[in-house]
Amino acid sequence: MKRWLPWAILAGLIVLIVWRMLYLGTVSERFNGAFFARAAIDSIKLGSLYALIALGYTMVYGIIRLINFAHGEVFMVGAFATYFLFTLTPYSLVGGAALAIVMAYALMRVTELFRGRLRDPVVLGVGGGGFLLLVWALTTFTWPFWAALVGSMLATGVLGLTIDRVAYVPLRTAPRNSLLITAIAVSFLLQNLGLLVFTNRQTPFRPDTVLNDPFTLDVMGQPVLTNNLLVAIPVITLVLVLALTSFVNRSRLGKAMRASAQDAEVAQMMGVSVNKVIATTFLLGSILAAAGGAMWGLNFGSLNQPAIMGILPGIKAFAAAVIGGIGSLPGAVIGAMIIGFSENFLSALFPRTPTFLGVTEFKDTFAFVLLIIVLLIRPSGIVGEDLSEKV
Amino acid sequence: MARAGTPTAFDDVDPKRRVRNVALTLVAIGVGVLVLMFLESLGSSKLSQSLALFAIWGVATVSLNLINGTLGILSLGHHGFMLIGGYTTGLLILDEAARARILTSARSTMTEESLAISVTNMLRGIGLDALTTPDTLWVRFLIAIFLGGLMAAFAGLLVGIPSLRLRGDYLAIVTFGFGEIIRLSASTRLFAEYTNGALGFPGLTSEFGKSVWWTFGILAFTVFVMSKLKFSSYGRAMQAIREDEVAAQAMGINLAYNKVLGFVISAFFAGVAGGLWVSWLGGVRLDFFLFQLTFFFLVAISAGGTGSITGVLLGTALVVFVRQYGDPLEQTYTLQQWLTYAGATLVLMTGLAVLFRSLRRLRPRFHWSAGVLAGAAVLAFVVAAIDPAFLEGTFRGFGMRAIFLSVLLIAIMVFRPEGMIGRAEFSWSGLLGERRSGPTDDERTQDAWLTNPVLNPRGSDADVASGSDAPTAPGRSAARELDVGDERHPRDDSTDDERRG
Repeated sequence: MKRWLPWAILAGLIVLIVWRMLYLGTVSERFNGAFFARAAIDSIKLGSLYALIALGYTMVYGIIRLINFAHGEVFMVGAFATYFLFTLTPYSLVGGAALAIVMAYALMRVTELFRGRLRDPVVLGVGGGGFLLLVWALTTFTWPFWAALVGSMLATGVLGLTIDRVAYVPLRTAPRNSLLITAIAVSFLLQNLGLLVFTNRQTPFRPDTVLNDPFTLDVMGQPVLTNNLLVAIPVITLVLVLALTSFVNRSRLGKAMRASAQDAEVAQMMGVSVNKVIATTFLLGSILAAAGGAMWGLNFGSLNQPAIMGILPGIKAFAAAVIGGIGSLPGAVIGAMIIGFSENFLSALFPRTPTFLGVTEFKDTFAFVLLIIVLLIRPSGIVGEDLSEKV
Repeated sequence: MARAGTPTAFDDVDPKRRVRNVALTLVAIGVGVLVLMFLESLGSSKLSQSLALFAIWGVATVSLNLINGTLGILSLGHHGFMLIGGYTTGLLILDEAARARILTSARSTMTEESLAISVTNMLRGIGLDALTTPDTLWVRFLIAIFLGGLMAAFAGLLVGIPSLRLRGDYLAIVTFGFGEIIRLSASTRLFAEYTNGALGFPGLTSEFGKSVWWTFGILAFTVFVMSKLKFSSYGRAMQAIREDEVAAQAMGINLAYNKVLGFVISAFFAGVAGGLWVSWLGGVRLDFFLFQLTFFFLVAISAGGTGSITGVLLGTALVVFVRQYGDPLEQTYTLQQWLTYAGATLVLMTGLAVLFRSLRRLRPRFHWSAGVLAGAAVLAFVVAAIDPAFLEGTFRGFGMRAIFLSVLLIAIMVFRPEGMIGRAEFSWSGLLGERRSGPTDDERTQDAWLTNPVLNPRGSDADVASGSDAPTAPGRSAARELDVGDERHPRDDSTDDERRG
């Protein structure tokens, strides 16, 4: 493919979009700059959220070629864990200690990423100290949102590790269809456990945090009411993505990760512990998904009931990962932005007018349609390299 | 001889036993009919409803098995095909009173024209007024589910086309995407005129969906078609594609044609199952066709044995049993009771773990994980017996059946991916414990190779040994007699033990 072709397509699309916006401006007063600004704001926020989820899909798929169906449910658990951490704290001693064990273990695994092994004085020190601190914190005061966010990221990371250990490790050499069926089963299990343990109805999610404070933008003379999330969600996403990218590109374990993604068998022969690499992938992916879940709750002000909350965001994020080029971190972010914009901005470009009923009610199907089109035309995605199956 | 000619469904039996087998089959059908008659005399009980549900889901799982088991493609869009069949059937057989109610309802999105679509009007249109009376409802129902099946088959054609370019999990996700697109767009403006949006069609007749005769009749027809198909040249081609696409193509099998054919046939029967399913439920609504449905079918197929029609029916029976009779799991109990039950489950799991390891001859027989399970069980029992203060209160096991089924599916995939009976099919000889008189497929292949003088000049004299005239001993063949190197016969009883040492 010519190098300039993608840029030409992008430029053409932008011209088409601007032309369409200008045309709509002549149709009705309603379709002014503020109208499109609102849609763009929603698209950016949603795209960033999808990016956080899509990174988990793309990393796991890059290494073990598994569509981790349960990732959407990990995202759901992350959202609910945040919710319970800022509403139910302080806990009783038993509950607090149990949660502290989980989180301290996650702290140890995260420290391990930098120290190289679990039986390391620093790692053990962080684990022990973190445990005591967490028990104290969980049992004495109500957690602010940021603490709940970090705590939920840690707890959800352990969930990712557990899923990998219980369901996927025994199936490393199994046919890929069995692995996929298992992933579907884990996803279904988590949905129903969520119904059983968390709640079975829509839950309001309005923590007292500065991120929710509203402010007004001025777009071409018209006010657009929004809140700090407009800045916070993309910034948090950007920080996490940059951290992840530098980890994958610079650290020793990141190098092992890239090697395993290229050829797991050879990497194993070269002394890379592939199982550990995969576990790390699940840990990092789940941590990002939990952050996405908490932000999702903030953005929409409520959490859907557990059985359905994770399905659509999860599958759309997967579509984003495929569109961007599965296995590629920047690709996942690009794909997520495309999905985010197609979902909100397309509805704004084809709104309800007296002569046309609009496309809003189809917005959930856009991701699937895009996914199918991309898979049929260019299965390797936008930035991915050719993944054609070898014989 | 049985050796020659195309192998058919159950021809691995000695021709002398064939008469007996036909007789046994007839007797079994007769017994089945008697049982169904007895059940019908009891009236519409929970048991007969569950049996009808088994038959309906059986149609769906057996058809899904054609894609997942025979063709080896993981399809996750079966609920979409069933939705199409269900909505078509629902629209076509809705009675006049229900149509009038929908037309006068303010929230309905249907128009007079779309409500005029019915089998009755079609039959009137071609002058067959005799078939529009209330006693001939069954004719109209059959026409409706047939048309529903055709609509679904058309959708299957559309879904089958991507299968030409994609493989493996990408294809699985595309089938899932298609299923979800069908479900998500059914309530939108595009189709709301025909699907009545989110309201659906209430008040459908349950006369057929809950009747064991109709459902089992259609199940029998489906199983007949599917077993004939599986052992036809089409089915063999599909199985070849499952085993190795490239090799199959090299043998001259048209991949595109066979894959799309598999999707179309499977979708047709899924549509029929969808029609029966809405009749069983007595109405059509979008939430009757969630992905959950495909998940249940996947559990059934995997539990029974992917690729085996017998196994799939066994698995369906298991899933339907859990769905229909698992409601004690979802009652409200005190926390103390829950803890006791959890302890009992853990004891059961410990036992199963030890049994599994000793059956598979894994050492050590008492793995530490079994110790952990037993310890947890003891802990649960002790805590339940002490009954401390925090066990006050009750808890409702909401969704326990689904949890049970998903844990079951994970366990199957981890411990026994081939399911209960693997790819074996039911046969009277197998049931009566008779050895097969003919060689297995593997042995046939080896025979062909060993006895071909061009390919294997050394073994051309083996012709005589396994000669076509002399009656061969059970399971004996040229391959056996030459004792070729390391080739192991899958049916050889000794290999399992040897392999695990």
